[in-house]
Amino acid sequence: MTEFVLRTNQLTKKFKQDYALENVNVSIKKGEIYGFIGQNGAGKSTFLRIVTGLAFPTGGAIELFGNHDSSNLTEAQKRMGAIIETPALFPNMTAYENLEVHRLQKGIPGKACIDKTLELVGLQDTGRKKAKNFSLGMKQRLGLAIALLSDPEFLILDEPTNGLDPMGIVELRHLIKKLNREKGLTVLISSHILSELHQLATKFGIIHKGKLLEELTAQELDEKCRQHLRIKVDQASKAAIVLEHELKTADFEVLPDGTIKLYDYLDDVHIVSRTLTKNGLVIEQLSQNGEQLENYFSKLVRGLENEQFNESGIF
Amino acid sequence: MSNLMRAEFFKLFHNKTFWVLIVSLTGISALMHNLILTDWWVMTGTPFEAVGLGELNALAVLIVPLFFNLIVSTLAGFYIANEFSQSGVIKNQIITGHKRARIFLAKFAALSFGAFIAAVAIPLATAFALLLLHGMEDILTLSNLAYLGRAYGLFSLQFLCLAAIVLFIAIVTEDSGKTVIFTLLLSGGMFIVEKFVSKPFIVKLYEQTFFYQFSQAFRWELASDEMAKSIFVGLISLAVILLCGMFVFNKKEIK
Repeated sequence: MTEFVLRTNQLTKKFKQDYALENVNVSIKKGEIYGFIGQNGAGKSTFLRIVTGLAFPTGGAIELFGNHDSSNLTEAQKRMGAIIETPALFPNMTAYENLEVHRLQKGIPGKACIDKTLELVGLQDTGRKKAKNFSLGMKQRLGLAIALLSDPEFLILDEPTNGLDPMGIVELRHLIKKLNREKGLTVLISSHILSELHQLATKFGIIHKGKLLEELTAQELDEKCRQHLRIKVDQASKAAIVLEHELKTADFEVLPDGTIKLYDYLDDVHIVSRTLTKNGLVIEQLSQNGEQLENYFSKLVRGLENEQFNESGIF
Repeated sequence: MSNLMRAEFFKLFHNKTFWVLIVSLTGISALMHNLILTDWWVMTGTPFEAVGLGELNALAVLIVPLFFNLIVSTLAGFYIANEFSQSGVIKNQIITGHKRARIFLAKFAALSFGAFIAAVAIPLATAFALLLLHGMEDILTLSNLAYLGRAYGLFSLQFLCLAAIVLFIAIVTEDSGKTVIFTLLLSGGMFIVEKFVSKPFIVKLYEQTFFYQFSQAFRWELASDEMAKSIFVGLISLAVILLCGMFVFNKKEIK
């Protein structure tokens, strides 16, 4: 049976007349790295704040590690670590002392975990330096250390790369992948930088104006964004044989409506066209398709906006 | 709960404001006691003088509500309210998966302990230390010690109510400055009611509050029913304020 770490059902958050979240259904399986994509103000942080118990929904339900009633939800939160918006630190304490507060709060026995976690995020040499004197990147790493201190099963990161330099971003990505691979850590990571999530996430949720537009796996997203030639001919089965035998390619698929998606010969469209015609096929459509991740996202967002525009009845 | 308490006390002992208050109050208190004991400063009409403890008159300044309110609200502002506004560390605490009511109670325990040390224990400890240094310890007779024990016992109970109400203000306002201002406004308001309002209904109502019990605690003669009333008012007020505080904190959205 599939084990879900987080599931939301029709999760809604309303501020007076405005919806910050509207009927959001998200499901995250154990071991997934879930990328939550959306523009600034799309509702990502609101969603994460509700999941972490900082805010309350006005409608819908949350299920965390299979628990959904409020006291069990609070208990289940002990199994997760999170950074929401900016890392929350005691400015007058050192990195070690910041982690010590969190260790005491969580009731983690022994102080060995502090050194181990500081080393994991590369802050082992900060000594007596107070957190207020840390760079933005160091603060971000200390926030991550706090989230990781109790060895959580579920890690929630809200825009974790804010303030990190390119090297820091790469290191963070490697660290998350390593924890996911070695410890089976489930991660929910939000960002408005698509390319950043694309290199990390195994599943995506695209949110816009409080609505979850689409949930898809990395494979599905790659598929949608992969460049291909879209071919529509009068005889799809014959065209498939021609592609295999004449053009020596198997990198294509035939869709139920007879359209062929060819992932090969992208720069040699004329060869494809000539070969198909030579074999007596009538080409009804031949176009290059597929888009960049950003374009795919924009198309989804535009789709929603058009839908809302039409619903409003303004023409 | 014990984990939360340990964390709160760790934070308290690493809080700069707490240590600034401890050091300043030790200095101010020692100076005032010294001035009284060496007759450089003469005070009259204090509750301590009335019971033959005139050497401890400096304590009368430190039991004025405006004075100790300032101490409690400063600590609450810079220790509690800052966790919501400046550092935002309250988020980490909520995410740890502890019940909010327990977090509130742990904060109350640490705040009341810190405020009690600064506003009550240090003035008393410096008073005793200076009495010893000046060779005046003979005034601490058994009956005087019993008076001080009873007075400070009742005072401490009302002090816990004040700490609870200041914690409530700190959590609602989320700002150190506002915490200090609102607490002082509250205490100023109570002072006006006590000194200038004569409407029987308001006076009667005021006498049922823990603010009134602050002054009652230091009366030399206190009948057993008055003492019972003081304890009752203190305990009920404490329970009501804590319950209200927990309710508000439970419903509060953390930004």
